[in-house]
Amino acid sequence: MATTAKPVVGKIKRPNIPSAGIQVPGVSTFEQVDDEILATLKPSPKWFIGLGIAICAMLVGASAWTFQIYWGLGNAGYVPPVMWGVYIITFVFWVGIGHAGTLISAILYLFRAGFRTTIYRASEAMTVFAVMTAGLFPIIHIGRPWKFFWLIPYPNWRLLFPQFKSPLLWDVFAISTYLTISTTFLYLGLIPDFAVMRDKETNPIRKRIFAMLSLGWKNTDREWRHFAKMYMFLAAFSTPLVLSVHSVVSFDFAMALTPGWHTTIFPPYFVGGAIFSGFAMVWTILIPIRKWWNLEHYVTLNHLDATAKVVLFTSIMVGCGYMSEFFIAWFSGVAPEQEYFWNRVFGQWWWSAWILLLCNMIFPLSLFSQKLRRNPTWLWILSIIINIGMWYERFVIVVPSLSHEFEPWQWTNYVPSWIDMCFLVGSFGWFFMWFLLFIKQMPVIAIAEVKEIVPPKMKNDHGGHH
Amino acid sequence: MSTESGATGVKRRDFLKILGVTTAATAATGCSTDHVRKLIPYVANPDNTVAGVSNYFSSTCRECATSCGILVETRDGRAIKIEGNPNAELNRGALCAKGQSALQGLYNPDRFRQPMARKNGQLTPITWDEAMQTLATKLGEVRSKGQANSAVFINQHEIGSFPAFLDSWLNDYGMPPHISYDADAPSSAIAANKAAYGVAWPALDFDAASLIVSFGADFLDGWGPSTPLQLAWADARAKIEGAPRAIYIGARRSLTGLNADSWIACKPGAELAIIQFLRGTKSVAEAAAAADVSVATLEGLKKEITEAKRSLLLAGGTGVDSAQVAVEVSEYNKGLGNVGITIKPASPLGIYERLDPTVAVYNVADRMNAGAVPVLFVRGANPVHTLPRSVKFAEGMAKVGFKVSFTNVPDETTELADLILPDHHSLESWGDAEPTANTLHLQQPAMEPVFNSRATADVLIEAAKKDTTLASKYAMTDYRSWLVARFPGGQTAQTLALAKGVATASSLRAAERATGDFTRKPVAGFTGTGDFHLVINSSPTLGTGAGANKPWLMELPDPVSKIAWQSWVEMHPMACKKLGLVRGDLVTIETTAGKVTLPVYNYLGIRPDTIAVSLGLGHKSQTGKTFDTDGDRKIPYYTGYGRYADGVGINAVTLVSGDIDAVSGGIAYTSMKAKVTKTGENTDLITTEGSARQHSRGIGQATTLAALVAGRTAKDGEHGATAPAEHGAAAAEGGHDLGPKEWGGNEHEFVGGAPSDFLPGLKSPVANDAQGALGTQDSKAKGMYSEQHWSGMAKRRWAMTIDLSRCTGCSACVTACYSENNIPTVGASWQGRALSPTVWDTRPGANIIKGREMAWIRLERYFEGADDSENIFDPGFDTRFVPMMCQHCGNAPCEPVCPVYATYHSPDGLNVQVYNRCVGTRYCSNNCPYKVRYYNWFGYGEPGRRQYAFPEPMQMQLNPDVTVRGKGVMEKCTFCVQRIREAETRADLEHRPLQGDEFTTACAQACPSKAITFGDAADPAWTVAKQVEDERAYHVFEVLNTYTAVVYLKKINHTVEA
Repeated sequence: MATTAKPVVGKIKRPNIPSAGIQVPGVSTFEQVDDEILATLKPSPKWFIGLGIAICAMLVGASAWTFQIYWGLGNAGYVPPVMWGVYIITFVFWVGIGHAGTLISAILYLFRAGFRTTIYRASEAMTVFAVMTAGLFPIIHIGRPWKFFWLIPYPNWRLLFPQFKSPLLWDVFAISTYLTISTTFLYLGLIPDFAVMRDKETNPIRKRIFAMLSLGWKNTDREWRHFAKMYMFLAAFSTPLVLSVHSVVSFDFAMALTPGWHTTIFPPYFVGGAIFSGFAMVWTILIPIRKWWNLEHYVTLNHLDATAKVVLFTSIMVGCGYMSEFFIAWFSGVAPEQEYFWNRVFGQWWWSAWILLLCNMIFPLSLFSQKLRRNPTWLWILSIIINIGMWYERFVIVVPSLSHEFEPWQWTNYVPSWIDMCFLVGSFGWFFMWFLLFIKQMPVIAIAEVKEIVPPKMKNDHGGHH
Repeated sequence: MSTESGATGVKRRDFLKILGVTTAATAATGCSTDHVRKLIPYVANPDNTVAGVSNYFSSTCRECATSCGILVETRDGRAIKIEGNPNAELNRGALCAKGQSALQGLYNPDRFRQPMARKNGQLTPITWDEAMQTLATKLGEVRSKGQANSAVFINQHEIGSFPAFLDSWLNDYGMPPHISYDADAPSSAIAANKAAYGVAWPALDFDAASLIVSFGADFLDGWGPSTPLQLAWADARAKIEGAPRAIYIGARRSLTGLNADSWIACKPGAELAIIQFLRGTKSVAEAAAAADVSVATLEGLKKEITEAKRSLLLAGGTGVDSAQVAVEVSEYNKGLGNVGITIKPASPLGIYERLDPTVAVYNVADRMNAGAVPVLFVRGANPVHTLPRSVKFAEGMAKVGFKVSFTNVPDETTELADLILPDHHSLESWGDAEPTANTLHLQQPAMEPVFNSRATADVLIEAAKKDTTLASKYAMTDYRSWLVARFPGGQTAQTLALAKGVATASSLRAAERATGDFTRKPVAGFTGTGDFHLVINSSPTLGTGAGANKPWLMELPDPVSKIAWQSWVEMHPMACKKLGLVRGDLVTIETTAGKVTLPVYNYLGIRPDTIAVSLGLGHKSQTGKTFDTDGDRKIPYYTGYGRYADGVGINAVTLVSGDIDAVSGGIAYTSMKAKVTKTGENTDLITTEGSARQHSRGIGQATTLAALVAGRTAKDGEHGATAPAEHGAAAAEGGHDLGPKEWGGNEHEFVGGAPSDFLPGLKSPVANDAQGALGTQDSKAKGMYSEQHWSGMAKRRWAMTIDLSRCTGCSACVTACYSENNIPTVGASWQGRALSPTVWDTRPGANIIKGREMAWIRLERYFEGADDSENIFDPGFDTRFVPMMCQHCGNAPCEPVCPVYATYHSPDGLNVQVYNRCVGTRYCSNNCPYKVRYYNWFGYGEPGRRQYAFPEPMQMQLNPDVTVRGKGVMEKCTFCVQRIREAETRADLEHRPLQGDEFTTACAQACPSKAITFGDAADPAWTVAKQVEDERAYHVFEVLNTYTAVVYLKKINHTVEA
C-alpha cells in the first residue's frame, strides 16, 4: 500500500530501514511493472523442465498411493506403537509452510509492513498449495482412505456423527476453513491483476477467460473502494485463522496423554514454528524466482533483510519453546516425561534432536549479521536448512514420543521406508507442480499493489517524486 | 473318503458331513469384507444343530502324552476352538498353548490331502484302494520272507489303548512291539522314578510342600505333564501364607527358574555335586568348587531343606549324568520323608507309561544302517529331525526296503517314506487315554475329516482283514467299534461317558517293552573344547520341533526370551561384553558335532560361562518343495515340515554329539562345550520385548509376605495406611525393587488428584454413565437399557483381575485369544512388507521385527535387579510376568480422540471398538498408555492378499462370532464381548438374570494357572467383585486417572525370612 516514507536513495553501508519504508526504487513506471511482471508468464524451457520434474515427483507419490491402498499401510515404516510417522510429520510440515502466506498477506497488511507488497502474492499462492498438499496427508495416513468422508459431519440415516471431542475432527474444520479463506483471499487480490492480463492479452479465448476471472474489473473508484474494504475485511478475518490453524494442529499432540505431547506450550510454539518454516519456504521459492525472472528490483535486498528479521525472531521463539519443554519436563517431576526428554536428546533419538536444534536454533543465529541477511545465496541455503530442521522438529515430536511412552515393554525404534520417502517426494512434486503452473498463469508479484508504491507518472513529471 | 462309521454312529457323522459341505462356502468366506456369497439357511436343521450355536464335543488332547481332557467347540460342523474340559480332574478346564494349537494341526494347509506313494522317486498322490493294496502286498512280502521280526514301528509316544492295540497287531504279524518315541520326555526323571518308586511318574503335590527345590526340572516349561503341574504350582503359590518357596538350581534360568524365588546358578553338570553335598557324600567345599557357587549358598540351601516342614525336590536336566542326579534326588526325597506326601507314587500319572528311551531309536538307526530292517513304520514321530546327526537316522532310512509313514503332515521323516497313509488328526479320530489310574479320557471326532485321511487304527484293521489268517481276529468294523466293545457297559455307557469326556475305566495297557540296549559308550563330563558350556533346552511351546508347523505357536514369543520365528543363543551380558557382542550380533557356535550361526540374546538368567540354545526349529526339507495340484488350483505341497516351519531357525540337536545318559537312555543334550566366534554381522532379533526393565513404573508390582502382613497391621491401626510404607518395609528387608518408588505405584507423590486410598478404580468420576450400578443415580438413567431391563446391562461393570502370584508367564492365554478372536498371525515368510515395489521382505517374522504382532494380550516379562549385569553376575534378580491387554478404562484416553466414534464406551463398562466404523487414524493407539491396540497393517483377513493369514483350510477355524478384520482397521481386546453377549442372550432367553461366574473370557478360561478372573465387578455374585478389593490389588498407571477395569494383584516373593 502506498506509504509516505521516503524511498532510500543511493548506497548505504548499513541500511536500517523500517520495514514500512521498504520501496522498490528500481521500478519507475506502470508500464515497466506491467511488462516486467507479465514477462514471468511466458513459458521458458527451464520452466518446462521444472514442471516435468515436479510432475514426475508427483507421479511417484501417486503410484505409491495406489500401491498403498491396495496392500495396506504396512509397507510404510511404522513400528507400533509408533503409529504416526512420515505422513503426519509431512502433514504438519506442510500446514506449517502454509502459514507464512496468510501471515504476510493478512497480518502484515494490517500492520502496514511495506516489505509485504512484492512478496505476498507468491507466499499466498504457496499457502494455498501447501495447504492443498497438507490436506492430502491425513487421507494418505488413514487406514481406509475411502472412508475419509466419515470425518465430515453430514446428515445420514444412521444418525452417526463424528466425535467432536477429537482433535482430528478439529483439524478437519481448521484446515478446510483455512484453505477456503486463503484461496478466497488469494483470488481477491488477483482480481485487478486479472484485469491487467485481460487488457494485455491478444488471444481471444484467453482474453475471455481473464475477463471472467477479473469479474469485469473496470478500475473505477467505486470498485477500488469496495475492493479495499473487502480486502481489509478478509485480512482481518484470516488473521485469527493464522493463529488458530496451527494451534489446532498442535492440539493433535497437546490433547494426548503421550509424554512429550501433553503440554500447553504447543499452540504458540507451533504457530511460531509455522511462521518460521513458512518464511523459509518463501525464500526457497522467491530467491530463485527473483533471480531467474529478473525481479531483483522488485524483491530487493531490503525485502529479504526484513523477512530475515522475522525468521530470526521466530527462530528465537521456537528455541524458547524447545528450552521450556525441557524445563517443564524437569520441573514437573514426572518420570516418564523426564525419561522421554532425556531419551530424545541424549538417547536413542539424539541425532534427530540435534539436527533440529542445529537447524532451527543455531544456524538462524547467523541472521544477526546484516551481511548475511542481505546475502540471497546464504538465505537460500539457510531456507533449506530451516526446512529440514522444521521437518525434523515434527519428526522429533511425533516419533520419539511414541517410541518411548509409558509402557517400557513397548519401547521401540522407527525407520521410514521407501514408500514414506515416495510420499515425501510426491508431496514436493505436487506442491511445485501447482506452484509452477501458477506462476505461468498468474502474476507472481501483485501488479496492482506494486503500482501503488510506484510514483505515478505526472503530466509534467521530470523524474522527481511526489 | 473317510473312515466307515459304525452302524450306530452314522447319523451324527452323516449330518456333519452334509453340514460341512453345505456350509463350506458360506461360513468360511462370510467373514471377510470381500467375497460375500449367499448364505442359504436350512429348511430343516439337522439334529442338534442350530445355526450360530456351538456344539461342544468332549475329547482328549493328543498334543502331548499328558492327555488332558478337552472340549472342542464346533460350529456348523467345524471345530473352531479347543478348551480344557472342566470335567477332567487332570487339567480342570485349563489347556496349554500347544493343546489349543491342535486346531492348526487339524487345519494345517500342508496336511496330506490323500495317500501318497513314491513312484519314480517322486511322492505321487494315490487312492486309498491303491494304498491299502500296496500295504497289504508289502506286509505279505515281509511275512513270507520271514523278515517280520525285524520290522520296526516307531510311534510318537502316546498313552491309551492304541499302543496296546498296535502291539497286538504287530504281534499278529509276527513283528516286535513298537517303539514309543518322545525326544522331549524328561528321561532322567522317568528313569529315577522307575528306580525309586517303581512308576514312571508319581503325582507331585506342590500344595503339601513348603519348599520346592528343582534341579533343572523345568516343570513349567514342559517337564512332565505341564498343565496339571502348572495348576498344582499356581494353587500352591496362591495360598500366599504357607505357600511353598521355590529354589531353582541350574546353569540357565528357565521359565520355571524365573518363577522360582531364588536361583542357584551352578555350573552345568554340577547338580550331581550339589545333591551329593546335600546327601553328605561330598564336602561343601568340593561341591561349591564344582558348582562355582559360594559355600554359603550351598549351606543356606541345605539349611532351608532340612528346616523346611515339608519339601519337594525335583530333578530334570539332560546331561550325561542327569539320571544319576535324579536317582540321588529321589533317594534324598525318601530320606526327607517326602515320598507319600509331596511325591505320591501311589497315584501315578499315565503320561510316560510304555515310553521307550530314545536309545531304542538309536539302536533302530544302527540296525537300519546295517541293512537289517526290511520295513519301517513311522507314525507321528519325526526321528530324522529330532535325533542327533551322528545317529544317522536319515541315512539308515535309505537302506530300509520299504518305509511307511502314517503321519498326516509332511515332515523330515515322512518325506523319505515310500508310502504315506495319512492318519486322521486327533480331532477327527476315536481313542482313549488313561492319564491317571482308572480315569479314562475319551477321544471322539469333533468333526468330519478335513481331508481324505484314515485313522491308522482303521488302516491296521483293514489291512488285517485282507489277510486271510487274521481276518477272523479283526472282525470288528473299525477301531471305534473295538473301543466301544471293550468299554464297560458298551455302547450306551460309552455314549453317556462321551458327553462328559471322562469315565471311570481303564485303557488297554501295553506291556512295558524290555529296552535298553545301551551299547553306546556313555561319556562323563562335557565333550569338546570351547569356552562355553552349551545348554540345549526344549522349547516350552515348540517342544523338540512338533509345534513348528503351527503359526500360533511360532508366533507365540518364547516365554523366557520373548523371541518368535527365530532361533537365538542366550548369553549373559558379561560374556557378551567380553566378546564385544551386542544384542542381535551373529555368532557361530561350534561344537564337535556341528556348527550354527545364531543371533545373540543377552539374557540375565544364564551363567556367564554358559550359552543356551532352544530346540524346536530348523526344519528343513532334504528333497525340496514340490507342487501338488488340486483340481485347477496349484497348491504348493511342502516337504520338510510345511510352509510355516520351512527355513526358520536352526535345529539345535545338530550341535549334540549324540551321547546318551547311561542310566536313562535319553539324549544327553547338555553335554557339549562350544566355541563362540563373533561374525561381525548383526541381525534383528524377532522379539516382542521393548525394554526388559519397567523403569519403576509399577507395571508388574510385587511384595513380600512380611510386607503384606505389615501392611495389614498398619491398616488395622490407622485407617488408610499407604502403599509406600509397604514398599519401604519390603525394601528395607533387602528384597529387590519390590515396588515402584517414583512413579506409578506411589500415587501420593504425584500431583494430579489421584485418590489417596486404594479404590478398585471402577468408579470413574468422568465416565459416570458407563459405570452402571457404580455410577450415580442420575447417570444410570442415561444408560442404553432401562434399569428394569432384566438382563441388567446398564448395571454392569465388566472387570478382570490378574493374580501375578499365580501367573507363570506360560502364554497359554495368548493362544486362547488368537483362537477365540480370529487374530491373524503375521510372521510367516510371505507376510512381510514390500521393500520396494517389487521386492518383498521374505524373512520369517519380518512383521514382528517391525513390532506388528497382533496379540491382543501380551505377556510382558520384566526383570528387577541385576542392574549392573555387564560387570557383575547376579543371579538374584526377580522376574515379573504381566499379561497386558486392553484395560477397558472407565475414563479411556482412546475414546475421545477417535474422530469417528469407532471406539466408545458401552453402557456396561466396555471400551468398544467398532471395526466397521474405524477409518484407521490410529490416534487411539497413540493415546493409549498401555499400548494395547493393534492395527491391521495389511489385509491379514483378506483372501488374495499375500499377507492373508488363513490359507485354505485354516479359515475353517475362524470363530463366526468374531469379525475377521480387514486392513486399515484398529483392533484390541474386547473382553470377549461375543461371550458376554452370548451369555446375556442365553440368560434373556431363559428369563433369568445372569449368574455370578456364569461364563468367562477365553484367556481366563484357558489359563493353566487360573490367574485371570473375569466378571461383573458391580455384582457381588461374581468372584471378581471380591478380588478387585484384594489387599494386593493395584491398577497399572493409576496416576493417569484412566480407571482401568483390569486390576492386578501383586506378585508375592517368598524371601528366606518369609
